[in-house]
Amino acid sequence: MPMTPQLSPVEDQEKLLGEALGVVKTQALQMKMCLDRSKLMDGLKHASTMLGELRTSLLSPKSYYELYMAITDELRHLELYLFDEFQKGRKVADLYELVQYAGNIVPRLYLLITVGLVYIKTNTCLKRNLLKDMVEMCRGVQHPLRGLFLRNYLLQCTRNVLPDVAEPEDESEGSVKDSIDFVLMNFAEMNKLWVRMQHQGHSRDRERREREREELRILVGTNLVRLSQLETVNLDKYKKLVLPGILEQVVSCRDAIAQEYLMECIIQVFPDEFHLQTLHAFLKSCAELQTGVNVKNIIISLIDRLATFSQRADSAVGSAGIPSDVRLFDVFSDQVATIIQSRQDMPPEDIVSLQVSLVNLAHKCYPDRVDYVDKVLLTTVQIFQKMNVDRIEYNTAVSRELTRLMRIPVDNYNNLLTVLQLQHYGPLLDLFDYHGRKNLAAYLVTNALENETLVPTQEQVDAVLTMLSPLIQDQSDQPPGEEDPEDFAEEQSLLGRFIHHLRSDIPDQQYLILSTARKHFGAGGNQRIKYTLPPIVFQAYQLAFKYRTLSNEDEVWEKKCQKIFQFCHQTITALIKAELAELPLRLFLQGAIAVARMEFENHETVAYEFMSQAFSLYEDEISDSKAQLAAITLIVATFEQMSCFSEENHEPLRTQCALAASKLLKKPDQCRGVATCSHLFWSGKNVATKGQEMHEGKRVLECLKKGVRIGNQCMDPSVQVQLFVELLNHYIYFYEKDNNQVTVQMLNQLISKIREELPNLEANEETEQINKHFTNTLEHLRNRLESPESEGLSYDGLIL
Amino acid sequence: MSFFGFGQSADIEIVLDGTENRKMAEIKSEDGKKERHFLYYDGETVSGKVNVTLKKPGSKLEHQGIKIEFVGQIELYYDRGNHHEFTSLVKELARPGELMQNTLYAFEFLNVEKPFESYTGSNVRLRYFLRVTIVRRLSDVVKEEDIIVHTLSSYPDMNNSIKMEVGIEDCLHIEFEYNKSKYHLKDVIVGKIYFLLVRIKIKNMEIAIIKRETTGSGPNTFTENETIAKYEIMDGAPVRGESIPIRVFLAGYDLTPSMRDINKKFSVRYYLNLVLMDDEDRRYFKQQEITLWRKGEKTRKNLQTSATSPQLPPLMTGGTESFIPAQNHTSDPKNPTGTIEDMKRDMDEEEHSSNLTVPAVGDASSTNLTADGMDE
Repeated sequence: MPMTPQLSPVEDQEKLLGEALGVVKTQALQMKMCLDRSKLMDGLKHASTMLGELRTSLLSPKSYYELYMAITDELRHLELYLFDEFQKGRKVADLYELVQYAGNIVPRLYLLITVGLVYIKTNTCLKRNLLKDMVEMCRGVQHPLRGLFLRNYLLQCTRNVLPDVAEPEDESEGSVKDSIDFVLMNFAEMNKLWVRMQHQGHSRDRERREREREELRILVGTNLVRLSQLETVNLDKYKKLVLPGILEQVVSCRDAIAQEYLMECIIQVFPDEFHLQTLHAFLKSCAELQTGVNVKNIIISLIDRLATFSQRADSAVGSAGIPSDVRLFDVFSDQVATIIQSRQDMPPEDIVSLQVSLVNLAHKCYPDRVDYVDKVLLTTVQIFQKMNVDRIEYNTAVSRELTRLMRIPVDNYNNLLTVLQLQHYGPLLDLFDYHGRKNLAAYLVTNALENETLVPTQEQVDAVLTMLSPLIQDQSDQPPGEEDPEDFAEEQSLLGRFIHHLRSDIPDQQYLILSTARKHFGAGGNQRIKYTLPPIVFQAYQLAFKYRTLSNEDEVWEKKCQKIFQFCHQTITALIKAELAELPLRLFLQGAIAVARMEFENHETVAYEFMSQAFSLYEDEISDSKAQLAAITLIVATFEQMSCFSEENHEPLRTQCALAASKLLKKPDQCRGVATCSHLFWSGKNVATKGQEMHEGKRVLECLKKGVRIGNQCMDPSVQVQLFVELLNHYIYFYEKDNNQVTVQMLNQLISKIREELPNLEANEETEQINKHFTNTLEHLRNRLESPESEGLSYDGLIL
Repeated sequence: MSFFGFGQSADIEIVLDGTENRKMAEIKSEDGKKERHFLYYDGETVSGKVNVTLKKPGSKLEHQGIKIEFVGQIELYYDRGNHHEFTSLVKELARPGELMQNTLYAFEFLNVEKPFESYTGSNVRLRYFLRVTIVRRLSDVVKEEDIIVHTLSSYPDMNNSIKMEVGIEDCLHIEFEYNKSKYHLKDVIVGKIYFLLVRIKIKNMEIAIIKRETTGSGPNTFTENETIAKYEIMDGAPVRGESIPIRVFLAGYDLTPSMRDINKKFSVRYYLNLVLMDDEDRRYFKQQEITLWRKGEKTRKNLQTSATSPQLPPLMTGGTESFIPAQNHTSDPKNPTGTIEDMKRDMDEEEHSSNLTVPAVGDASSTNLTADGMDE
């Protein structure tokens, strides 16, 4: 450990800076006092001593900057004093020479610049030569930090006196060309100094050095700003003098930090109109930059700028926009290819990023040119081929970039069909691994749903579904194991919604679309088809209705309908094969209703088939008693609505329903099933009744009585009462429907039975409900009693 | 002159002709003070009047004759007794006799030769003066009056630039160029240093003007080196390919023309010493003699105008295309003005001509820059 207490670097810097600023203050004061007394030589001596503080090597760039600011601030007094004196005609002989006697170069050059500026301001004839002289003499300071600040001082001092005319009246005043030479030279020297900082000191300090360079870069960049501020630099001069000068220095300095910053600087400080006309030169230089340079960012920055420019120009009336002779996309496309070619070490994600920016360019500047986007995609495919990449793993950098690339057309067009026009979208998509493909597929579907994109031809459907196959079918590269069921359900639901977007207004076309979709989705496996096939079936039913409405125009509509139901039958059968029962049952019933409503040839047979399929599913596949009750209820309800059957077909179905109901395993189920069936005999319709309800009151009563009988057999009093209340409601329904087989006595009987049993039930929630149901029923009856309706239905004799 | 205050005595005053139009020049006296005297050139007539004023008016002054001498002499400080007069002219102003009153004598040394320049150095002095002597029996009355002589030269016929490649093998290799080998005293040295190889960490570079005064001959030779000016021309470490401008204005320094073997008594030579200092304060240097000469004053008029337009000597570095560094710089050995210094010869020369240099760095035989870790 060192014996003397060590100051921390920060304290150390503060102390050093404080001391230096102290000297500056003293010397500046004395300088001003001397100048006030017109003692110029003494004043200069103090100025020189003050400037001597800038010779230090101990300060960090930050502290040095503070010192520099303090000193140059004081130098302004000297400059003003001299300027005043010169204005008054009191010129000092050989002043420019005198200041050069300063023994140390740093103070000498600061004084030289200060005095030189006064000469230039008071005698413009000296401008050209003095500028040249000053910028040349500054070569003497080769220390990076001191040199950078000295040259910055030169640049700051001369900022208002740089000649800015194309052709000067007096050659010695200089033209803009002299200014360009001057700034370019200063720029080149500053850049060299800046780059040199990188190679000084220990390698372990590299991080700190790079941070310090970062802090100083603005000094170098200011040169470019100055060039951009020269008003007489037109396109021609920029093209021939300015840009080549800058690029030559940038390329030849072979320093990644400098190159990256300066290229970005060029993009930002010069106008877009210039960039448009010098793309070749600029991009060519990009290809020559160091391997460490993130060329991608530079290109992207330029593209973004030009794209914004073109959009701005489009919206502004009368502005130039991108000239027609600048083939912006082609130029970028070619140069980006060259850059990729020349930079073998460029990581693939960066290559893809470049393609992303190209696509952006195409979109923003040429929104109509789908072929441009496609060209980029093709190039990307080819690049991967060249790199022998045939799988891109999910969640790698390349994958993320490529995903970005793939999403751009989707987001920009907001039209799946336009994306389909991109020939190379699919091949590029195929490069992703399973997860990548699936993600993008979901993205495509979501986009189509959000934008309500309809896919109107079977070819397009085929193409789209092929693209979406990671969602639709099992993939050869799919990792084993179950997926998260919720995610899976969500994905498949998306597809289900999407199927409704596969739609054409032309029925025949729609049929082809559905067949195509069926082929794709049919291969989806048991897990998927329960989500995807039902929408197809429903679409098909809808299509059938459509043909029905077009029956006047289409002679063969009946055949087509029959075909559609065949199609549906097959599709539903596919679901049965997937060991599903309730879903196909419902679909069959739904189909039966659909068929029943349209009178095409032999629709009755088809309907019968659908019903019988439903029955066999009920019998063969549904074993759970609750499900059975639900199914039979559904079947009965469906059947009750259909009127297409002849008595010949209606009778067996009817009977089958009653039979099935009475064969239910549990008594309460039997009871309810039978009660439900009773309605078949009342409001059921068939061809024989000409679509009218059949009103077979006797059969109804038989059913109800059977229900009561079964109810009596129930052991659980609570269930029994519940069933009786339900039965009572059925009775009331039919009584009110004018079924003369049902009498008030029957009602009284049931009511008294219920009244008898109800108080014996345990008090619980269930009992409460039953009680409520019963009370409501009685309430209904009471209402009827008190306000008999005109039709003459009377509850005379009802005992409440 | 009179020890006891009795007897007649006289004051002598020498009044030169045309002093109202004659310039004066400054010179250092032996003890370092600055003196101003009238300035004469070679071949100019020196004329004037001698005014003898009697201290006791009315009393006579007896004398053995009055004479005036024009003397040019060289004084070697280590040999005080011997003054070497290279010029000595005598005019008799009065024959022996008596002076009764204040008397005025005119004198004239017509077109007198003044071959050398007045000079005050550290070991030698060359001066011109007029001496009036009133010869008396006991003690002469003497009065001396110094004048200053400047020797003017015409533009040298040959004035090649100095161009040389020097270095330390595998370490430092530079090429320097001074635009001339002969400079007048108000001249500007313009030059450049081109770095061909830099493998040491250079801190800065300066040019020193060294005056070397040599007196005596044979075993009694004395050499005195004096650094007249130190002028930093570069700050920081350059890299290969950098070209650093040199511009040194001479007018501000106390310089004399170069003098070679003046009356076989002494020489004054000037050297430009290019010194590079590295991070560890080792110095590498190369001395190069330049000739200084005095130019007639007429051209000073041009400088008067420079108040409005500063003198801008051309620069050797840069140029219109110079913002792009020269990538393939090659020195041109065919250029007759440039010499690629033979290191051996240079080494020898350094050894016997400089008492400052102690070769210390690297392979001494391969250097022709001299490195010195001890100096300063």
